[in-house]
Amino acid sequence: MDKLFVIAVGGTGMRCLEAFTHLCAIGMFDSKEIEVLTLDTDQANGNKGRVEKLIQLYNRIKTGGTPNANTFFSSKLNLYRFYTNYSGQGRENYKNISKLNTGTPEQQKGNKLISDLFLDNDSVQEFDLSHGYRAQTHLGSMLMYHGMIEAARNIVRGTDIKVQEKELDEFVTKLELAGQDARVFIFGSIFGGTGASSIPIIPKALQDFIKIRSKGAASIDFSKAKFGSTLLTEYFTFKKPNDKQKASKENSVIADASYFPLNSQAALQFYQSDPTVQRCYKMLYHIGWPIESKPVDTGSTQTITGGATQENAAHITELLAACAAYDFFTRTTGLDVDKTEYVYKAVDFSNNAFSFSIHDFVGNGNKAGERFANKIGAFFSLAHISLTVNNAANGDTGIKGFITRCQEQKITQYNTITDAECAEINDYFKAFAYTFENARFMPGWLYQVRSTVAPGTFIFDSKAFPDSLSELKKLDVGTIFLDEKNHWPKGGILANRYDTFVKKLINLGPGDEQQVHTTKEKFLAHIYNAITQSQGFHLI
Amino acid sequence: MESITAYIVSIIITLVFLFIAAIIANLIKFEGGSKPKDPKIRKRWFWILCLLNPVLIFLLGFFVFMPDGNVRVVKNYITALSIGTVAGFFLYILLGFLLSRLFINGKLGHWF
Repeated sequence: MDKLFVIAVGGTGMRCLEAFTHLCAIGMFDSKEIEVLTLDTDQANGNKGRVEKLIQLYNRIKTGGTPNANTFFSSKLNLYRFYTNYSGQGRENYKNISKLNTGTPEQQKGNKLISDLFLDNDSVQEFDLSHGYRAQTHLGSMLMYHGMIEAARNIVRGTDIKVQEKELDEFVTKLELAGQDARVFIFGSIFGGTGASSIPIIPKALQDFIKIRSKGAASIDFSKAKFGSTLLTEYFTFKKPNDKQKASKENSVIADASYFPLNSQAALQFYQSDPTVQRCYKMLYHIGWPIESKPVDTGSTQTITGGATQENAAHITELLAACAAYDFFTRTTGLDVDKTEYVYKAVDFSNNAFSFSIHDFVGNGNKAGERFANKIGAFFSLAHISLTVNNAANGDTGIKGFITRCQEQKITQYNTITDAECAEINDYFKAFAYTFENARFMPGWLYQVRSTVAPGTFIFDSKAFPDSLSELKKLDVGTIFLDEKNHWPKGGILANRYDTFVKKLINLGPGDEQQVHTTKEKFLAHIYNAITQSQGFHLI
Repeated sequence: MESITAYIVSIIITLVFLFIAAIIANLIKFEGGSKPKDPKIRKRWFWILCLLNPVLIFLLGFFVFMPDGNVRVVKNYITALSIGTVAGFFLYILLGFLLSRLFINGKLGHWF
């Protein structure tokens, strides 16, 4: 069985990883242990912080557990974090980090000439790197490669090894051990800065990292290694930088969203013709948003260059990128090619909106679309039970209500699950669906994804996404799907869907084939069985 | 013979009440929320019917099934009816408890 590796680069890469993590939570990667590396220049990036917190929360829910099958949180995620360090003295910008002013006068002259040839002297060589590469991909590719090689050299030297370098080393060690069985999928955009800079160089940087660390004894054979990535073109926009913002020295180079379409076109041409990319990547998934992009910074007066404030909402293209990773990790054919294969599909577009069906995410071979809908629907229903019915969104006990229900039904094997453990599951659902903060509705990941498709269709009925307390109270959690045949059974004239569901919950339990071991895993598998059976998808 | 009538009335009414309690328990829907009230409601209905059961046994036995006959016959019947009333009360609890254990994970399990 192949070992799975995910690398997320830059702000967009982090949001794709967020979508990927949610796919793991709904149970799309059964029985898998996945190594995840976050790679950024911007240690404080809001999207990076958000996804790392999410994976840490996922891992707390999974504490002591193992990969399982046909349940929630079925895969195990191991997180590694690496960021290029541009915070110390002498590392703030290109000029300082490349030490242009050191060496003999002759060397300095040569260094300056070659730098000036490729990089604008006053702006590109001098902007603050801590907020990423600001769409300067030529600079970014070089510096990201440099950052990883510098880490390898530090590890070989064995002194002053930084935490992030150790984590990169651990990740690469796992990759090296996996050898030909490794499947590596890289998330990032091709229109921005850090992701666009890194996608072309990561396979080569990893190869050189291994070579340096092993002093030439080991390497990655690109004819056998399986690398895949997304070619994610522009799908969001933000405010154009104003003259005042541009006037400051530190913002003299600033990402301008109006150039994103141009960046995307140039990048696609590059990926089509670059021999290194063609040799390293087995699969590249074209993902784009061919209609007007929505702004992500409606509340801000300035262009956000990075940092903690760069915490953009989720978008359906990121979910599609995560589904591309699913395809790459689960496909059994097409990975023994010598040259990159391009993968794409189209979605129905009518009345100026996209309409996504359950078959538009992971395909429809072997009932994959139904399986996906079954799992995401079950997770969404459970999120609503926890947040809406059991009111965790407003501070009530949420998932603990299920344990209370089991106790009431004299099913006592889950009594050892603590309140803190339940609170962690509730927190995950808040990140996945929604929450209330100071009585204000805060959409979570799935609500945000849904809003990017509206008024088009998206797996679930629009009524499954209420955003006010009064509407939430009226929600029937058994009717979230568009297709009535997937609604929970009514169970007769005097019953209701929830009553029928609880009866099913009582009569079921976790199965051996689910490979669940801890009490929490058994509990989640038990609920998974009750909900998925209530949804009535025909999966065989 | 009259005594047997009193005991049969007690048993039948007890079984009918138990059946009604089971129907009510099943008609009460499982509730969501952090503190579902449905188990308490089922339990309350079980005990309400438990208290009504001997009252109805005695009233029906006294006003509907009272035999016509001499004082001794009536006295024997009243004695049997009283015993049947008390027995019906305890039989209801006993059978309720057994059903509750038999369907321990279901709605009847909330009786005890």
